[in-house]
Amino acid sequence: MDVLPMAPVEASSLLPLVAILLPLLGVGLLVPLGRSSRAVRTGVLALLCSLTAGISLALIPGALDGQVPSVHLLELLPGLFLHLRVDPMGALFGATVSSLWLLALIYSHGYLGESPRQGRYHAFFLLCLGFTLGVAYSGDLLTFLVFYELFSILTYPLVVHDETPEAMAAGRSYLAYIFLGGGLVTLGVVFTYVHSLTGLGFGQGPLLTGQTGSATLSLILAFFLLGFGVKAALFPLHGWVPQAHPTAPAPFSAILSGVMVAAGAFGIIRVLLEVFGPALLAGMGAMAWLLGAASFTVIFAGILAVREDHLKRRLAYSTVSQMAYVVLAASLLGAGATAGALVHMTHHAFMKGALFFCAGLLATGVGIRQVSQMGGAARKMPWTMAAFSVAALGLMGVPPLSGFVSKWIMGVGMVEAGEPFYLAVLLGGALLAALYLLPILYTAYVEADSTTQSERSATVRGSMLDPTAAVPSLRNVRSEAPATMLIPTMVAAGLTVLLGLGAFISGFPHDLARLAAEVVLGGGG
Amino acid sequence: MWTWPHWLPAIVAAPIVGGVLVPALAMRGRRWAPGWSLLVLSFTLLGALALTLQVARGGPVSYDMGGWARPYGIELRFDEVSAFALAIALVGWLAVLFSFRYAPRAIPWERLPYYYTLLLLNLGGMIGFVVTGDLFNLFVFLEVLSLSAYALVAVSRGKVAGLASMKYLLMGAVSSVVVLLCVGILYSLTGSLNMADVALRLAETSSPLPLALALGGFTAAFMVKAALFPLHTWLPDAHAAAPSPVSAILSGLVVKMGIIGLIRVLQIFHTSGGLDLGYLHLALMWLGAASLIMGAVFAIVQEDLKQMLAYSTVSNVGYIVLGLGLASSTAVSGALVHVLNHAVIKSCLFLAAGALILGTGQRTLTGLQGVGRTMPVTCVALSIGILAIIGVPPTGGFPGKWTMAVGAVEAGRPGFAVVLVLGALLLVIYYARIVNAFYFRPPAHPEVEGARDGVPSILVPVLTLAALSLLAGILGRVPLEFVEPAAMRLVGP
Repeated sequence: MDVLPMAPVEASSLLPLVAILLPLLGVGLLVPLGRSSRAVRTGVLALLCSLTAGISLALIPGALDGQVPSVHLLELLPGLFLHLRVDPMGALFGATVSSLWLLALIYSHGYLGESPRQGRYHAFFLLCLGFTLGVAYSGDLLTFLVFYELFSILTYPLVVHDETPEAMAAGRSYLAYIFLGGGLVTLGVVFTYVHSLTGLGFGQGPLLTGQTGSATLSLILAFFLLGFGVKAALFPLHGWVPQAHPTAPAPFSAILSGVMVAAGAFGIIRVLLEVFGPALLAGMGAMAWLLGAASFTVIFAGILAVREDHLKRRLAYSTVSQMAYVVLAASLLGAGATAGALVHMTHHAFMKGALFFCAGLLATGVGIRQVSQMGGAARKMPWTMAAFSVAALGLMGVPPLSGFVSKWIMGVGMVEAGEPFYLAVLLGGALLAALYLLPILYTAYVEADSTTQSERSATVRGSMLDPTAAVPSLRNVRSEAPATMLIPTMVAAGLTVLLGLGAFISGFPHDLARLAAEVVLGGGG
Repeated sequence: MWTWPHWLPAIVAAPIVGGVLVPALAMRGRRWAPGWSLLVLSFTLLGALALTLQVARGGPVSYDMGGWARPYGIELRFDEVSAFALAIALVGWLAVLFSFRYAPRAIPWERLPYYYTLLLLNLGGMIGFVVTGDLFNLFVFLEVLSLSAYALVAVSRGKVAGLASMKYLLMGAVSSVVVLLCVGILYSLTGSLNMADVALRLAETSSPLPLALALGGFTAAFMVKAALFPLHTWLPDAHAAAPSPVSAILSGLVVKMGIIGLIRVLQIFHTSGGLDLGYLHLALMWLGAASLIMGAVFAIVQEDLKQMLAYSTVSNVGYIVLGLGLASSTAVSGALVHVLNHAVIKSCLFLAAGALILGTGQRTLTGLQGVGRTMPVTCVALSIGILAIIGVPPTGGFPGKWTMAVGAVEAGRPGFAVVLVLGALLLVIYYARIVNAFYFRPPAHPEVEGARDGVPSILVPVLTLAALSLLAGILGRVPLEFVEPAAMRLVGP
């Protein structure tokens, strides 16, 4: 195994461990905090999450300098450690995860109001944060598997949080899909372990070599792609996404779309780059299938989104389409395209986070759940709709917002990789994004409120607005959301602008993504 | 104290002698029975721990009873597999502690002293079974533990319990006789009963037919004891009808005696080298795979919590037998570790189920709806047990299953690795039903709403086992490295 010229040095550091443990500490604090007021609890938890986010941001410079922070924890199985390691790719994903989580936590304070089961919600919310960070900071495939399975499973109570029949049905479908995916990933890791000559560690060149028979290699690749494909919502494995998103609480939908689905794409990128490596993949026929599946998903999910009237479900289909971009770009195996894929993961997280935050505000504030009910929404919730518009325009790819930048990088990467055909898919997806997002904006800003008051008060969420005290007419009445929910929403929308404007500043996502891609894939111009 | 030379006979004798004394002590007052049992088991636990440490440091420990040199005298031998005695003593100790509050509710008052007698005899029989180096003693201890187990199933009275015990007795008695017959065959071929000696002498015999008969007989008989599909039919009723502490012992420990018996026999035949074990391994693989799938499928359709857990035992025994059948040192290590880890996890689940039944009076999933809110501590312990038995990393089920899957791929049988994972996925279906009912549905019965977590004597065993279920995964390396020499003896060159 030849050592890569740019192979980074590992620098021992406990920071990644602290970042993972802080949210878990929060779970422990929930018991003594159970008796204190909600404001105190949210404050303490937000402080912990801020610290986590701060640490994950502080880890970025190390990853950029090639001094990869790393720590070996304990020997889980003979010769296999729990190993944390913050390489550029992990640092980028980790920072995205912890920042979006912080926003969602603050948003949850207003969203949950006085509703029951908050202790359970917070406990699993924090557990998932810790374990998802673990996925980002995994230093080897076994550690990745451990954290990946843990966060996938512990997400379940959040999916079924409302305990309505629809939520339970969504939860069942979630469990079926996720465990199936998790089982396939486990098989992939087992097979890799047996066939790898160099253990399971990341950052030391591809784990598998051509010495393993091509049939076995294809089998292992199939295990990983199908397993992570479930989480990344690649067609035809996307079924759980449109079911789980509408029933989950809005802050958690944001997380689900922003980083959980992305974790699947992250897994695929890890496997392509670290387990197989470009040289091995070039000779395998499976990549054509992956490219085909991803391209089809971009277009197909876009079309489904256009046809969908339920707002959160439309956004969920949009996530399926957008994550397929990431997989598509990454599977071209060019440095530029892969960097674009990683950048798009981060950019998409905040755009989609903002959109789901807005969807939650519209549902709780004025009872809007369908796109067709959006008439007049801009007059009732101007700030919310402003944030929605920025994020939606970003997702369509309007310059200079972050969605444009990441799609531009991906597009340039595709041309560099000699596959300009996929530009058509990229543009087709962007066109569809315009088709499923612009009508929302049009309805919200131009059309008048079309629903009657009785319909409205039936759909208004009890925790936010007392239905018995309904105002005479909701038409054109300002009912903007409370600050605790509006601020995270505005911040997420602001990040859409900021990440777009500052995309090429050192230390911003593109810097890290470029480094991550070039370590494995070479300069590429 | 750790190196006292007589620990080996002491840990066998203590529970048996102590158990026989219980009714006499109870004449002075019923309260003596549980306390005395706990004391006896504390001593046993200490001895098992001391012996396990000795094995970890310096390899297997032998003891010649009465100073008569083997192979003429009776040999006790404590090796890596015998270290299961530690699990027996620990789970037994916790089950007795759990019985403080549980037994008076579940068992008629006048039978209580005998309940503790049977419990101690059962534990003593098991410890004897795992430490003996003598084939005839193997049979004797098998009978001690089996007879006490039949009685323990019926101890709580009631129609189901009696019938279940009868079914268990019929199948168990036949298998015991077959074991005796096979011991007889080996004795007539070799003139010896000491296992190591038999293995040496078998190498010189040249009569494959009786050998094959003995091997087949042992395998079939121990399959019944281990409740491997399709010979599992006695298990679900017996384990579900027994009082919960007994269920924990039966499911976690007693079925493993079939496995350990099989391991002892396999070791004799592997060492002697007289027979090609390839066909047996192939059969074990397929039987194990069938058991692990069918056990899980049966479990899915159960409504009674304890029946569900009982069928899950059939599934897990399938895992272990599959691992043994794969016959690579990795897979066998995984199987041996899973013997231990499943003992801890399944007793955690059964004790937690017992605590729920004690608290609410309900034992079906519908009846127990919403119990997660009223008995949170018990349900958290149960949930940890569930994650562990599915094999979610890094919990207790993971090291064994991972190692067996790796072993399957190494042995060139990747299909069985897929079966291993498929079995875990089937487990998810029925454990998801439990979690859904407990946490995400409103209470259906008023008893559930009024239920509270139990007293310390109920909670301590449940929580200890839950913590161990977690630790068994996080420190999974320790037992895996510990059993490696045993795995090498079983399949190595």
